[in-house]
Amino acid sequence: MAASLARTAPVVSRGLDKLGVVVAALLAIGAASPFAVFRANRIVAGEAKFFFDALPAPDAALFALVAAAAGGVALLKTPARARLAAAIVFSIAVAGLIGVAANHLTPPGEPYARVAPAAGFWLLAFAGSILFTDSVVRLKLGPVTRLLALALGVAAFALALRSGVWSELSILKEYATRADVFWREAGAHLVLAVGSLAAAMAVGLPLGVAIARKTGWRAPVLNTLNAIQTIPSIAMFGMLIGPLGWISVHVPGAAALGVHGIGAAPAMLALFLYSLLPMAANTVVGIDQAPSDVVDAADGMGMTRRQRLFSVELPLAAPVILTAVRIVLVQNIGMATIAALIGGGGFGVFVFAGLGQTAPDLILLGALPTVFLAFAAAIVLDAAVEHVTGARP
Amino acid sequence: MIAIEALTKVYDSVAAVDDVSMVVKAGSLTVIVGASGSGKSTLMRMVNRLVEPTSGRVLIDGEDTTNLPAHELRRRIGYAIQNHGLFPHRTVAQNIATVPTLLGWDRRRIEARVEELLQLFQLDPATFAGRHPYELSGGQQQRVGVARALAAEPRLLLMDEPFGALDPLIRAKAQDDLKTIQRQVSTTIIFVTHDMEEAIRLGDHIAVMDGGKLLQYAPPAEILVHPASPFVAALIGVNDRPFRLLSLETVAHEVEPGEAEGEPIAADADLRNVLAELLWSRREAAPVAERDGRIVGRVTLARLIARAGMPT
Repeated sequence: MAASLARTAPVVSRGLDKLGVVVAALLAIGAASPFAVFRANRIVAGEAKFFFDALPAPDAALFALVAAAAGGVALLKTPARARLAAAIVFSIAVAGLIGVAANHLTPPGEPYARVAPAAGFWLLAFAGSILFTDSVVRLKLGPVTRLLALALGVAAFALALRSGVWSELSILKEYATRADVFWREAGAHLVLAVGSLAAAMAVGLPLGVAIARKTGWRAPVLNTLNAIQTIPSIAMFGMLIGPLGWISVHVPGAAALGVHGIGAAPAMLALFLYSLLPMAANTVVGIDQAPSDVVDAADGMGMTRRQRLFSVELPLAAPVILTAVRIVLVQNIGMATIAALIGGGGFGVFVFAGLGQTAPDLILLGALPTVFLAFAAAIVLDAAVEHVTGARP
Repeated sequence: MIAIEALTKVYDSVAAVDDVSMVVKAGSLTVIVGASGSGKSTLMRMVNRLVEPTSGRVLIDGEDTTNLPAHELRRRIGYAIQNHGLFPHRTVAQNIATVPTLLGWDRRRIEARVEELLQLFQLDPATFAGRHPYELSGGQQQRVGVARALAAEPRLLLMDEPFGALDPLIRAKAQDDLKTIQRQVSTTIIFVTHDMEEAIRLGDHIAVMDGGKLLQYAPPAEILVHPASPFVAALIGVNDRPFRLLSLETVAHEVEPGEAEGEPIAADADLRNVLAELLWSRREAAPVAERDGRIVGRVTLARLIARAGMPT
């Protein structure tokens, strides 16, 4: 009895959570950094506002308490559920307070004044998301629960947007002046990312199957795809202008379909080419992984090669292939931003326009939705991979 | 009846199987035994054309196996292997239904067949049909593998070391079950193993292979008594010969009238086990009982010892 107490007691009472130390440090640095930036208009230099300047006194005091409590929960070895609750409450508080700060800092009747989140806000948000992701991992939530959590998060975010808590924030002011362009470019961004993924699947999967069979072709094909991956995207766009321009002029109907030397066509083609390697390589690996006695049994029972492929090899390769889909989709959502450089559209339009105008708020209007989309795609496809793998050891 | 005629397989100018001819009788269980690399698996795999012969041919009931496309031939021949090769993403029922589904049986007939086979292999359909292979023990997986091989009622079943991965107790049970099931379904079985003990225990006929050649093809008793070459003799293990010879027969053949003391012995026990029992219990004789408990006579130690020697 005494021995077992001696063994278990220190675990419960002493020692700090390692990740919690990082979270608490981020909280401390974040709280000590400027929370928001105030600018008289969208391009002049900003004025950093610390925590107690940015918020009305009662809100600031309340938030200090919430942050201290969250830091405490993170720092000590607390149950995963408590950590999750702390992460949620803290994140909601940070998200809500940046809206409050915007209202508080914007002088009445000054439509050009801008309030944007500053380093402190981002550090605090980062700390909150680390605590959140970590507690979700510790809780070992199933794929369906994680999808539900994502849906809930999106719904809460949409509600917050509608409620107007953030409407004084600079990024939403940027949005308000170009709402229709925003959704058009969002559509273009999705078409680029998902379209190039679909094309890469349509070509990469059969290609992977083919080189899984013909092992002699494997090295040349994969090496070629590998070489394509190493071409920088700007160089790739440059290389595509010539051939696509030629096609546009000389192939009847190509121009009508939107094929030009610049624009969406080369962007789509570049993303597609980059996606081929992960698709084809993972298909090969997935098919190779099928246990040899299972493949032998399939042959021995009289499956044709086609039946063996579709009812044994591809189902067994599905988790690995889906992993490739995840990699490609997340990668393409990010890379599609570059398409704006050559007039391909997408969220990159705001990023590059913002860079040109040195308007950081506009850059954020392009960057944040991109990050969010990539994040959501990762969660959805991770859940899908886990669902497919779940029925096996 | 399966006729193997001058079958040869050459890989890179080395003959894995070298001019093998043999006839497997319908309804028999023939064991091909040999060390690894002897060509035993290659010989078996040429029967269902998983390996295409370099020369020679295989006739099943008089019909050349090359008359059919390979996949159609294989659907008519059961195939069970070591490590069972069950499809990990499919349930037990779906695994067993593989060949019937390929053959296009209707759903009801498949369901009935799956249930019948699960019962034959002592796996409760309600419990096991919906499970995945990884939820089964090694012995259960192996039984499902054999059930799957028998699903489309093949007249010929090929088994390549099907019990190789099982531990000894389960293995002995699997061997007994196979004998029982073969009597029920009357399928011709070609069984490949490296284990002479298993070959003697199971085979009606044993084909001994080495270096791609068929060294001897005969019933087990014949192989034990007249090994065709020193290699065959070494494979059967000269020291174990009397006991292996005894293991081929049941006590029912050696019953004599008379009485004896002690626990009765079952009439279907093999003579090796009976000898062990008599030696262990220090008895000169034991009563023999039928399954219903009726005493039919006795078996004596002297008779067993006489039976264990080289036939004169």
